[in-house]
Amino acid sequence: MSVAWQFYFSTLLIYLAVDVMAVWGLNLQFGVAGISSFAFIVFQAMGAYTASVLTLGPEQGTSFQHYVGGASLPFPLPVIAAGAAGGLLALLVGLVGIRRLRADYQAMVMLVISLTATYVADNSTHLFNGPAGLSLVPKPLFGGLNLSLVNYQWFYVGLCAVFCALIWWFVRRFTESPLGRAMRAVRDNEHAAAALGKNVFGLRMTAFVAGGVIAGISGAVFVEFLGAWSPGSWLYPETFVFFTAILVGGTGNNIGVAVGALLVPIGFLESTRFLPNVGYPGFVDALQWVAVGVMALIFLWFWPRGVIPERKRRFPQPGEAPRTIGRRLLRSRG
Amino acid sequence: MTAGDLLVVEDLRRSFGGVHAVDGASFKVQSGSITGLIGPNGAGKSTALGVIAGALRPDAGRIEFDGRDVTALSPMSLARRGLIRTFQTSSEFPRLTVIENLLVAAQHNPGETLRGALLGGRRSWRAHERQLVERARELIAGFEMSDKEDEWAGNLSGGQKRLLEIMRGLMAEPKLLLLDEPMAGVNPTLSRSIEEHLQRLNRDGLTMLMIEHELRVVERLCDRVVVMAQGKVISEGTMDTLRTEQEVLDAYLVG
Repeated sequence: MSVAWQFYFSTLLIYLAVDVMAVWGLNLQFGVAGISSFAFIVFQAMGAYTASVLTLGPEQGTSFQHYVGGASLPFPLPVIAAGAAGGLLALLVGLVGIRRLRADYQAMVMLVISLTATYVADNSTHLFNGPAGLSLVPKPLFGGLNLSLVNYQWFYVGLCAVFCALIWWFVRRFTESPLGRAMRAVRDNEHAAAALGKNVFGLRMTAFVAGGVIAGISGAVFVEFLGAWSPGSWLYPETFVFFTAILVGGTGNNIGVAVGALLVPIGFLESTRFLPNVGYPGFVDALQWVAVGVMALIFLWFWPRGVIPERKRRFPQPGEAPRTIGRRLLRSRG
Repeated sequence: MTAGDLLVVEDLRRSFGGVHAVDGASFKVQSGSITGLIGPNGAGKSTALGVIAGALRPDAGRIEFDGRDVTALSPMSLARRGLIRTFQTSSEFPRLTVIENLLVAAQHNPGETLRGALLGGRRSWRAHERQLVERARELIAGFEMSDKEDEWAGNLSGGQKRLLEIMRGLMAEPKLLLLDEPMAGVNPTLSRSIEEHLQRLNRDGLTMLMIEHELRVVERLCDRVVVMAQGKVISEGTMDTLRTEQEVLDAYLVG
């Protein structure tokens, strides 16, 4: 493979890993707990911003960019801090948006929060440096490793794989436990869940904050690779790309939504990126968004459970051998 | 309150706008009884049940359950104290299987805490989960639905959903089960079978308060009957004594 192709494929793999982590987080909020988390991208952006400023170092007097709380922490501390920041923001948003609000209003509040966040980030130049955002974020471990650029790419792919494995472990702790079952009960019928003694708000908040932590980490992994952050890259339509990935892949199924991340943000958006433009400049780009929306609608109408639907949890009969990891993998269930 | 009363409702009031849905209702449910709550449409039965279960806030009045004042507690805290209700309309968790619908109803599940789910792993809740599965299977077998164990609850028939809801309630090990028209929309055969299940549960010591329109069912099932009309309790007693009371007959005839 030529160096150029290696760059391209490794970059795609890194994007895929970031998107897979993100949809796992959103699936926990939406697919498992049933929260229409239309502000999801804000948690990812928050994580990315936190990781940036904690890598950039303290702001110098002569610096061309302004930000808050600069530090140069060693990797992976900025990523961990990004997870904490994403979770903390989700906690605040959840207290406003989830408590005492019906599901449809929750969705509206989340969308408004997402739009507001963009305006605040764009206009408060002292906090987030305005539309220009941040740049020249150093890549983690780049100096110490002495790798060529292309080998560093592959190193970062490996790093992403490690983060994906950690997040996979984390989400499965929820989805495969009684806690996740209680969350799914709240998703299906909150009044019945409350009547059985479930803490509806607490369960929703737990899923929401855990999703926020994952979003923050995914944003950090993304920005440490890109080296730049700007409000314009984290607009609300990006949230709907993730939602579409979940609807296409299979709401509630961790493997399904990962396949959705492969199909929608990577497969569809990347393959159509090279289409020659027709009409006015940016016409094809705009059509991409339209197509993502249409895709979501088509799946909601005709294939609401997605490519790999949520699976049934079965419990071993007395005398039946408990399921081992190996047997589970053979059945390839999410 | 005497020692045998599990639920005591005193002068309960709840209005919606100008409508006094429950207008000073008082009654008791004896421990170990099946108490029927009857009355014409609009008598305030469902509202009373909703207030007792914590889904609606009372405007005034007092509710005592198991010796404690539980007025205006949330459905969650009432359920945790052992007061479990079923709903008038199907309220299964459709994207959970039948057995999962039961498992989720179990109280004090160590695997449902954040610590249990994140840190405990196999040791802390798996053994407990196996016991729950066993108990749920026994319940399902008792209701002759073992072949539906792994079915999505949303795919059940209307009657099966009613059974599921009763099973789910039982899984929570309630002290008092509130049933809102458990036989509504169910075919006569299944309705008869639900009756038998309820009688069996009552023999095992479960106390129930049920809203039911079919008087023959009430006569067969209920030890005591509370009659409501226009938000008030107009009579209390056994079905036999109530039959002779003119006011009760009037309420049903006049509506």
